[in-house]
Amino acid sequence: MNALITWVSTLSTLLNRHMGICQPHLLATVLMMFSLSAAEAKAEHSLLVVANNQDGSIQLTRSQVRNLFMGVSVGKGLEPVALQPGNQLRTRFNTEVIGMAENRIQSYWAQMKFTGRQTPPEEFSSEQELIEYLSQHPGSVGYVSSEASLPDGLQVVYADDL
Amino acid sequence: MKTRLLSATANNRQRPLLTVITSVLLAPLTIVGVATTSSSSANAAKLTDDIELSGIVRVIGGYLESDNHSIDGYSDSVSLHQQSLIALQPTWHINDRLSTTLQWVGHTGEGRESGIEWAYLSYSLNDQWQLKAGKLRMPFFHYSDSIDVGYSYPWVSPPLQLYNNKLFPTFKGANVSYNFAGESFAVRLEGLYGYYHSDSVMIAGSRLGADAKVDNMYGANAALRRGHWGLRLAYHTGDSQTRMEFLTPLMTALQQAGFDDASSTLKAEGPVNVYSIGADYEDFTSFYRAEWVRTVTDLDFSPTQTSYYLSAGRYIQDWTLHLTFASSANTRTEPSDELQPFLADPTTPLYPLAAGYYTAYQRIPTGGMNSVTLGARWDFRLNMALKTDISYLKETSAYSGFFVNEGDSSQDVEAQTGTLYQIGWEWIF
Repeated sequence: MNALITWVSTLSTLLNRHMGICQPHLLATVLMMFSLSAAEAKAEHSLLVVANNQDGSIQLTRSQVRNLFMGVSVGKGLEPVALQPGNQLRTRFNTEVIGMAENRIQSYWAQMKFTGRQTPPEEFSSEQELIEYLSQHPGSVGYVSSEASLPDGLQVVYADDL
Repeated sequence: MKTRLLSATANNRQRPLLTVITSVLLAPLTIVGVATTSSSSANAAKLTDDIELSGIVRVIGGYLESDNHSIDGYSDSVSLHQQSLIALQPTWHINDRLSTTLQWVGHTGEGRESGIEWAYLSYSLNDQWQLKAGKLRMPFFHYSDSIDVGYSYPWVSPPLQLYNNKLFPTFKGANVSYNFAGESFAVRLEGLYGYYHSDSVMIAGSRLGADAKVDNMYGANAALRRGHWGLRLAYHTGDSQTRMEFLTPLMTALQQAGFDDASSTLKAEGPVNVYSIGADYEDFTSFYRAEWVRTVTDLDFSPTQTSYYLSAGRYIQDWTLHLTFASSANTRTEPSDELQPFLADPTTPLYPLAAGYYTAYQRIPTGGMNSVTLGARWDFRLNMALKTDISYLKETSAYSGFFVNEGDSSQDVEAQTGTLYQIGWEWIF
C-alpha cells in the first residue's frame, strides 16, 4: 500500500510539474481513488509545518503559512526555513501550499532580494538537517513529511489538508 | 537642439561592441565564480559570515523594423548593448538588525547611467517594520525597483509606456515599510521621503540633459494580497525645478525678448503627482496583470499623462507565454500664441525666435503610443532564463517621444509604427 501511495504521489508531482497544471487537490483525488482508506493516506502522507514553538499555542492557516514562506510576517516572530530547490518535499510544498512553480518562486525572491525588501528563507539540503536546525532555534518554522520523527519541542502548526 | 544632443549620443554608440560586452562580462568574473559555486537558488552567496554577494547579468539583443527611427536605443541593426548589464550587490550584515547594501550597475546602453543605483542602510525593528536610508529606487510600479532584474518579470522589456517614462528613477532619502499577514490576506505598506537631483531625465526612453531637481518628494504604496489576487495602490509626489538643457537657450532668448508667457510654457517647474493602480491574478498555470498610471503636473507641455498595460500569460512547464497590450497618452496643450504674428512674416527680426519656439514645442512629446507584445520565457535552469519578445508599436498621435528620428532634424508630424524584436538571457546569482 505504501509503495502504491508513494508511486501515485510521485506521479502526481510529475503531472503537476510537467503538465503545468494547477490542481492542489489532484493528489487528494488520486489518492482517494487508489487507496483503500483515504484517512489512512492522509495520516501517512500529509505534509506538516512544524515550529520550535515553546508555548505550543500557535496554529496557522494555509494562507498564513504561504505568506510566512513568502517573507510576510504573521506577527508571531516566526522564522521560516526551507529545503533546497529540487528536494521532493519542497516541490510538494511549492505546489500544495505556495501554489507556484519553483521558477516563479525564484523570480519572486529575485525581486524581493534585489529591492532590499526580504531575503528567502535559509535552505537545507535534507529534512534531517532542517529538523536539527528547527530543534535548536526557537521561533523557527519548517515543513516536514509526516513520517519524520520530530524531537521534543517541535510542534505541528499546520497540517496540509490532503 | 534636441537633434544635436541625440546625434552626440549616436556617436558614442560607435565604440566597439566587443569591448563593451567583454568589459562588462569579464571584469567581475572572479567574483561571479565565487558566487555561483556556493549558491544554487535565490539565496545570496556568503563571502564571509557577514557579507553576502548577489548579482545580475542580462544580455539583451534587439532589432527594430522601422522607417529610419529608433526606440529605446534599438534601430534597424541588431544591438546587444542597449539593455545588457551586469550588477553586483554586496550586503554587509552589521548585526541582526542592521545591514548595509550597495548595488552597482554597469549598463551597456548609452541611455542608461552606470554606477551605484542603491546604497542604503537598512534597520529591521522586527520582522514587520523596516527602515532604509540612503540612495533608493522609486517604487512607482510593481517592477519599477526591480527594472534591472530581468529575471523578475516575464518580458524582455516591461511596457515602455510605464517603465521607460521615469522622470526620477532613484531618490535620496528614507523609506519605511511594514508587512503583515492575517489569516487570509497579506499587506505590505511603504512610505518614502527624499529628493532627486540629477544632470539628466528620462523621457520616453531617451535620456535628456537637464538640471533636474525634484525636492520634497514623498509617497506611499500599499500592496494587498488575498489568495491568488493582488492589488497595488501608489501615490508619489515631488516639486520639480527641472530645466531641460536643450530648451534653456531658447527660454533665455524668449525672456530677453520679453515673451515671458512663451518662455514659461517651456518650464518644467511645479508639482508632479503620480497616481498608480495595479492588479494581478496568478495561479499555477496562468497570470493576469494590469497597471495604470496617471501623472499630473503643472508642466505646460505635458500636464497629464496616462499609461496602462494589460497582460495575460500562461505557464506551461518551464515556459511562460504572454501577451500584453500597452498604451500611453498625453493631454495636449497649445503653445503660447504671443509669437504667432511673427511666424507669418519671415522678414521680421523676431521670426527666428518664433520659429524656434514653435519648432521646439512640437518636439516636446505630447502624443501617444499603443503596443502589443507577444513573448515567451524559458526557465531552462534555476536562476537562468531565455526570453524573446515581439512588439508592434504604433503611435496614436505624433509625437510620442518613444520614436526617435535617426535621420534629419525635421520633426515627426506623422504617427510612426515599428516592430521590435528582442531576445534576452537573464541570470541572477
